[in-house]
Amino acid sequence: MKLIRANKSGHVFHLGQREKQLLLETLKLYPLVPASHHHLSKRGKGPNADENQRLLEEALAEQRQDNRRQVLAMLNEPQRFRATKSGFELRLTPAQVEWLLQVLNDVRVGSWLALGQPEQGEEPELTKQNVKYCLGMELCGLFESALLAALGVSESPRWAGD
Amino acid sequence: MAETVVMPDIEREEKTGSKSDLEPAWLVICWNDPVNLMTYVTHVFQTVFGWNKQKAEFHMLQIHRQGKSVLARTTMEQAEHYVHQLQKYTLHATMEREL
Repeated sequence: MKLIRANKSGHVFHLGQREKQLLLETLKLYPLVPASHHHLSKRGKGPNADENQRLLEEALAEQRQDNRRQVLAMLNEPQRFRATKSGFELRLTPAQVEWLLQVLNDVRVGSWLALGQPEQGEEPELTKQNVKYCLGMELCGLFESALLAALGVSESPRWAGD
Repeated sequence: MAETVVMPDIEREEKTGSKSDLEPAWLVICWNDPVNLMTYVTHVFQTVFGWNKQKAEFHMLQIHRQGKSVLARTTMEQAEHYVHQLQKYTLHATMEREL
């Protein structure tokens, strides 16, 4: 997934045939993070804590539904990917880039949760059941990095060693 | 070459974020999840808080190295808004009442 051009109206990416297939297969995993994963507070009980938690879960569920609608639109509208000689072009508005980042990171974090939350550098034992999560986590990382690079966000030399 | 250290701008947010001195302050905290890309976290902070890259990086590195970072001290309503925005991006964020 490579940035071809960008302007105020959005970004145009090039994807190979296989990349497109992997992106769509990855998006099919959405949503993966359970609603109960997020909490308003670590300390827990304040006034109206239960009510506030319920409202948070409702708001996140609504957001997830909206994201899911957009995922389905991308999966079911082949014209979103314009065929070229060497693959496909995907045009994304700035809002769609943000949406895609949110969706990909949900799949990445959800995959990580499904793998038992391994620490950095720790490799979970692969099984037939969890291999899709290993792939999903890695692929989401790659696609996220491509989108972030297109937005001008890249790793700084100051982070070296972290 | 010496690096410029950018300190978090909590002080200024205290003054502009509270409706009154009597209103209890809430802290918006982001916790470390090793799965999130450092570039992703930096981008989310820039998007949600409108911070420049240096400030967003400062907080991202604080989370990475110390396990958490206080991103804002503000009213309950504003803290709820920030937490919701951060959780939309699947970051591990909570709001805690200042003790």
